[in-house]
Amino acid sequence: MDANVAYGRALARAFGGALLFSFPLLMTMEMWSLGMAVERTRLLVFLLLSLPMLLGLSYYAGFEPTFRLKDEVLDALAAFGVGFLLAAVLLALFGVLGRRGLSFQADLGKVALCAVPGAIGALVAGKQLGEGAPSAHEKQRAGTLGEIFLMAVGALFLAFTVAPTEEMILIAYQMGPLQALLLMGLSVLLLHAFVYGLGFPGQSRRRQAGGPLRTFVGFTAPGYGVALVVSLYLLWTFGRTDGVAPHEIATMTIVLAFPAALGAATARLVV
Amino acid sequence: MATATKSRRAAKPSPRSEPPLLEWISAAIGLVCALAAIGFVGWDALLGERSPPAIEVRLVAVTPTPHGYVAQVEAINHGGSSAAQVAIEGVLSGQGEAETAQATLDYIPQRSRVGGGLVFEHDPRAGRLVLRARGFADAS
Repeated sequence: MDANVAYGRALARAFGGALLFSFPLLMTMEMWSLGMAVERTRLLVFLLLSLPMLLGLSYYAGFEPTFRLKDEVLDALAAFGVGFLLAAVLLALFGVLGRRGLSFQADLGKVALCAVPGAIGALVAGKQLGEGAPSAHEKQRAGTLGEIFLMAVGALFLAFTVAPTEEMILIAYQMGPLQALLLMGLSVLLLHAFVYGLGFPGQSRRRQAGGPLRTFVGFTAPGYGVALVVSLYLLWTFGRTDGVAPHEIATMTIVLAFPAALGAATARLVV
Repeated sequence: MATATKSRRAAKPSPRSEPPLLEWISAAIGLVCALAAIGFVGWDALLGERSPPAIEVRLVAVTPTPHGYVAQVEAINHGGSSAAQVAIEGVLSGQGEAETAQATLDYIPQRSRVGGGLVFEHDPRAGRLVLRARGFADAS
């Protein structure tokens, strides 16, 4: 019985985390229209990719201190449920769902798209809102692949909050090639500074790992690469790349990679 | 590094007993949500038809107001893909000069309908009213 009570509290925390992380998206108009307009195959790919991502995230930052595969699968599924139900309830409350005449698919698309950031929030909440930070050994479990995975989740998460907006395209249109290169340089610089210079919790190992050059090769360069890939993937999912000239796609990717790089750099802080 | 991790893992306390019942229930709910989302989206993605938007505009009601006759209309997209910025138009004839009113509907998903209004100076019920969609932009 005690275990159930403890789990219930963890679940309540998960709802709190999902709420904190996903409400900006739930209250963004583009998310609703994208939920209807996103090409269904791309939405399907996004949903199918989100489940293994949640599983991996549950391994590193579940809302229970678990290590066993079964528990992690259960946590990942529960997190998806939390994100989905929260998105459904809040969108219904905002009057976004159930508009007379709109098809069921349209509503489902909106909820499904918003469920994923909520689910990430639900898993992360275990750590963020938890009673006490996870012990040191849990943090250091991440090997190089694990680090890159966490950076990708951090990048996805931060990029997702702005990727659906029109502003990403608008900024890309407004920027010249020189500005794009400068923004790229700034992103790499900030990523490196966050990873190497600033002593965020959980980053002690990186600073011990070697000099700035080694950190650059080991974390900053792959981190920015991950940020670029995640940005391009999100733009493709939202149909922003269709029929657009390659250099414009590149600029959009660089623009979106700016928040993505910040997300990758602070992944350890967030997830 | 790998051996250090292993020894730390081995040193951790013995695993807990079976997950509590609540954990199974919430995971089951999550599974149902995930399967529903993936199932419907997948069904739509793989089997749904991709015909272009076919938009019918239909008159719902006419209300005389001090500022003209408000004709409430609804636009129904019978096609298999969504349309954005749908321009709808009503042409009222039969009472002297033909009168045209138009409106733009932001977004009509596939097989959905969206309402709007056209405002005329003369009573649309008295004349001949032709409603149609003039054009749209591809969604997304």
